Amino acid sequence: MDKTTIICRCEEISCEEVEEVISNGGRTFDDVKRITRCGMGPCQAKICTSMVAEIIHQQTGLSPSEIPLPRMRMPLSPIKLETLATNSTSFSTVKSVLDEVELEEGKVR
Amino acid sequence: MKTDVLIIGGGPAGLSAAIETASRGLDVTIVDEASQLGGQLNQQTQVMRQLPSVYEPMRGFELANKLIELIKDCNVRQLLNHRVVGFYADGSVGITDEENVFPVKAKKIIVASGAAEKAVAFPKWTMPGIMTIGAAQTLINRDFVMPGREAVIVGSSDFAMETAIQLMDVGIRVKAIIEKQSGALAKEQEKVSELSRSGIPFYFNSFIKEARGNGQVEQIDVALPDEVITLNVDLVCMDGGRAPILDVFYQLGCSFGFQEELGGWVPQYNNRFQTDREDVFIAGNAAGITTQGPLLLTGMIAGISASEELQAISPAEANEMREALWKELGLLEYREVYSGRVKHLENFASPVLKDQFIS
Repeated sequence: MDKTTIICRCEEISCEEVEEVISNGGRTFDDVKRITRCGMGPCQAKICTSMVAEIIHQQTGLSPSEIPLPRMRMPLSPIKLETLATNSTSFSTVKSVLDEVELEEGKVR
Repeated sequence: MKTDVLIIGGGPAGLSAAIETASRGLDVTIVDEASQLGGQLNQQTQVMRQLPSVYEPMRGFELANKLIELIKDCNVRQLLNHRVVGFYADGSVGITDEENVFPVKAKKIIVASGAAEKAVAFPKWTMPGIMTIGAAQTLINRDFVMPGREAVIVGSSDFAMETAIQLMDVGIRVKAIIEKQSGALAKEQEKVSELSRSGIPFYFNSFIKEARGNGQVEQIDVALPDEVITLNVDLVCMDGGRAPILDVFYQLGCSFGFQEELGGWVPQYNNRFQTDREDVFIAGNAAGITTQGPLLLTGMIAGISASEELQAISPAEANEMREALWKELGLLEYREVYSGRVKHLENFASPVLKDQFIS
């Protein structure tokens, strides 16, 4: 693929930038995301996930089944903070990132 | 809000699951982000012949109307213009009406989130005038807007061929069909020959090298096996295939298996269309990319399984119906998709860690 081709249109990340992460050892979509912001724009990786997987596949020879899915957090699609906050007094929409920490006997696993 | 069955997605699979559950007296809620039920059926004008035996052949939007009419008879709560935001630790589903977010507690959830189109990347593919085939189809059939006058299609799947014909029907000139493989991928060769007969060149082993234009696509370079040609176009419709929409399943903590024939990573499920989270069922393209008839069948099976778990139908009756529907699925579904589905079920029953992705 031509190096100038845009892969993530939201964050304007080119093929070259994705390839650079892979040549530095990146093997998953989330590796690419953490270093380049690829997939962190308004569409939340809905378009670039498969393209990045394809580039990883081509550059490393990993089979598609060896390339894991990116983490998909809530909110599932963009939402106004005002809406997310809700006017409800009985229901909290707030979900802490600490919810993702897995505990085992009171300690982080 | 409390409900027996929450159905996420109001397309063909979600609607047929709604009919199966609501008609057995369950309290059913269907949520869809669009303002209208029917999903992609609403912009499909092609006649669907391979439908389950209870439906006669009809056009996509006619099928949508028929399904909507059927659920009207059985009193389904409809949350249109509503989106699922996420899932909470207490098991409730966060749904927004764009004003607020409210929790919905459901005994069973049927996810029919559908599929998303994949794009085909080439230099300047993000320019206006370059869109997926589904976007072009939506513009002409739902919005009555001409997306361009002179087009090329990248890809040759059944969906691409159908869209090419629909573009021509509204007076758009299709200048070429560009396919990187050595032959047309469409399974219905009839459509391919219809397009060839009307003089549209098929460029095989070819791809778009670059697009150019001032604020909008005006020209593309197409790399053929032995030369590069330039075409003046104001519309490029690309077909990169489709993949199941997985974010809902990921949030629910479902496991995934990789199955090329079903569209890549697909949530794992058993022959009841039940995922590894026992209260979560799956239906439609989310369970593997397929055609309209099978989409309805998967929705029916998921609906019957959820009804069985909620004791709205006896296990014996449910088994009998499921068996018949699976038989019909085997008849209606393309052979490689069906065998991919069977393999997917087997992999779930006896998992090998390397083929499984646990979120």
